[in-house]
Amino acid sequence: MDKLLTLRTSVVSIQLNSVTLKMLGTLLIGTLAIALMSLSAGSQWLNPIEVVKELLLSEPGQHAFVIETLRLPRVVTGFLVGGALAVSGLILQSLVRNPLASPDIIGITSGASAAAVFFLSYLAETVSALWLPFAAILGAALTSLIIYLLAWRQGVTPLRLILIGIGLVAGLGAMTTFMIVLSPIATSMMAYVWLTGSIYGSDWQDVTALLPWLLVLLPLSLMLSRTINVQELGDPVTVGLGVQVQRTRFVLLAISVALAGSAVAYAGAIGFVGLIAPHIARQLVPRSFGSLAPASLLIGGCLVVVADTIGRTAFLPLDVPAGVFVSAVGAPFFIYLLYRQHR
Amino acid sequence: MTLMMFRSQRYSDFSISLQLSRKLLLGFLFMVTAIQEASAEQRIVEHSMGSTKVSGTPVKVVTLFQGATDTAVALGVIPVGVVDSWVQQPTYKYLRKDLADVPHVGLESQPNLEVIAGLQPDLIVASKRRHEKIYGHLSQIAPTIALETVFDFKDTVAMMGLAMNRQQQANALLQSWKNRVADFQQRIPQKLGEQWPLEVAVLNFRADHARIYLKDSFAGSILNDLGFIRPANHPQGQWVVKLSTKESIPTMNADVFFVFMTEDDPAVKRNYLQWTNHPLWKSLDAARNHQVFQVDEVAWNMSGGIMGANQMLDQVYEHFGLNPVM
Repeated sequence: MDKLLTLRTSVVSIQLNSVTLKMLGTLLIGTLAIALMSLSAGSQWLNPIEVVKELLLSEPGQHAFVIETLRLPRVVTGFLVGGALAVSGLILQSLVRNPLASPDIIGITSGASAAAVFFLSYLAETVSALWLPFAAILGAALTSLIIYLLAWRQGVTPLRLILIGIGLVAGLGAMTTFMIVLSPIATSMMAYVWLTGSIYGSDWQDVTALLPWLLVLLPLSLMLSRTINVQELGDPVTVGLGVQVQRTRFVLLAISVALAGSAVAYAGAIGFVGLIAPHIARQLVPRSFGSLAPASLLIGGCLVVVADTIGRTAFLPLDVPAGVFVSAVGAPFFIYLLYRQHR
Repeated sequence: MTLMMFRSQRYSDFSISLQLSRKLLLGFLFMVTAIQEASAEQRIVEHSMGSTKVSGTPVKVVTLFQGATDTAVALGVIPVGVVDSWVQQPTYKYLRKDLADVPHVGLESQPNLEVIAGLQPDLIVASKRRHEKIYGHLSQIAPTIALETVFDFKDTVAMMGLAMNRQQQANALLQSWKNRVADFQQRIPQKLGEQWPLEVAVLNFRADHARIYLKDSFAGSILNDLGFIRPANHPQGQWVVKLSTKESIPTMNADVFFVFMTEDDPAVKRNYLQWTNHPLWKSLDAARNHQVFQVDEVAWNMSGGIMGANQMLDQVYEHFGLNPVM
């Protein structure tokens, strides 16, 4: 029997074995390495040692502006966005017991997209673009609520949730396309960038707006990890074990929506991370939420940071939206993991 | 190539500055700013994102939209960084001679902030429409002024003239424009007689749809100044209408069509032929009377600056067989 690390208080109960701990440690080191590489890469390659010095010393050096104002907020935002989407996807996949679930299935991405494109098409002339994240998060929340209410029939079952979700998502997709077709060129260009997903121009304001969501929601989801694990066994077993299925389901959905909604609000529709990061995590650590959540967080964060780093360095001086590369980086890595496991 | 040259030069700058001790460098910087402040007057430029203090005569200007690049050149300042053009990439042909060695900072929609910072500009010209999100970053790099749109060429001249301490040149450009417009307005009625004022529509064909450019667009506002009139059924207070189906061809109707498009794009060409071979197209006044004229896309739409506007006016003069005044 493996040596287990058990964390059990009145609110949290998580058990991690030594393999998981080692893997999480490796992922953490990998994340830091990726972050450092990303801070070093750019229009001009900076020596990573210089970058570390710059970060640790309080006195600003000659690259202070590039590192601390341009690159660091972007790396942090990318990490938070990817991490939030990944955990959101993980919760949803466990909740609906379907490996194809992602933040989009309950309308988060498409709701946010429709709201964002509506904002860009009809309000951008009169309202400051800084309100765009609020419009997006509102759209995400509203759409998820509608899907939840429509799926309600003496409680919500995962299957009804998925089917209603797919229907509404298709409708919203049509609305988004419709608005893009009708809007003038300037807005459709911005809408396309938004729909691709980009963390271009992120500043510390974005970080401070995004961070509180994760600081509240991640511990909350870990507190519920026991229930999430039980949920995966199916409703009858879950009820039998004394879990209030409908109440926890609603709370978990709300957490998932808030995580993905806040991420999408600041980065646009980088939805693919939410699908793929949990799957990659499952290849690396055992299938319990307590292990999967931190692993997904780190993997999702790294995916977006790597994608964005490629986006802003591969075609200099062009700065290409990160969303373009998220799938380009994530999909091959995922297929490689599946292939290795198969052998 | 130019980028590489510019890079290696920057690297050598860095190695030199590394050799200097930090103290010496700081002292040096302090002296430079002190001298600048003592000798130069300061101007407050009011713009769409607030007001910006600009001192002295900026010589290292980065322009983040096509109209600003055009205007900087017109004012006699070659920018130290420009964005890629939309067609004829990376630089519009009419600007290539002036901008031959100027580094590019990416696309108008997502310019590379690090490259801009590396150029160490003393003025950045942006547009609220495109750069609202990054205005904070830009103004940390250098004093940044932001135009509301990307095609209001007269405002761009006036604001950039003030910011760049070239008010005289700016006034001269605007005055010459006024004179030319007045000259055209005076001569065109004699030329066309009863036909004047002429009812025109500016059309544009894309790969999958067509557009009518209205009064508030770049070309539209110039035609307006010149005294052309628009069909009564065209919408007001907008700059463009997209037509996504051929059923809406009749809404284009006008006495004269000026058409521009990206001609070397086969998809655009195909779409243009499809629309113009449609039976509804043949019922339009301009088509029936053979009053459909193709015009230069860059001058009529893409340039967004005073030089482009003057080129467009030249072409209008020429079209009506008048000798342009300079």
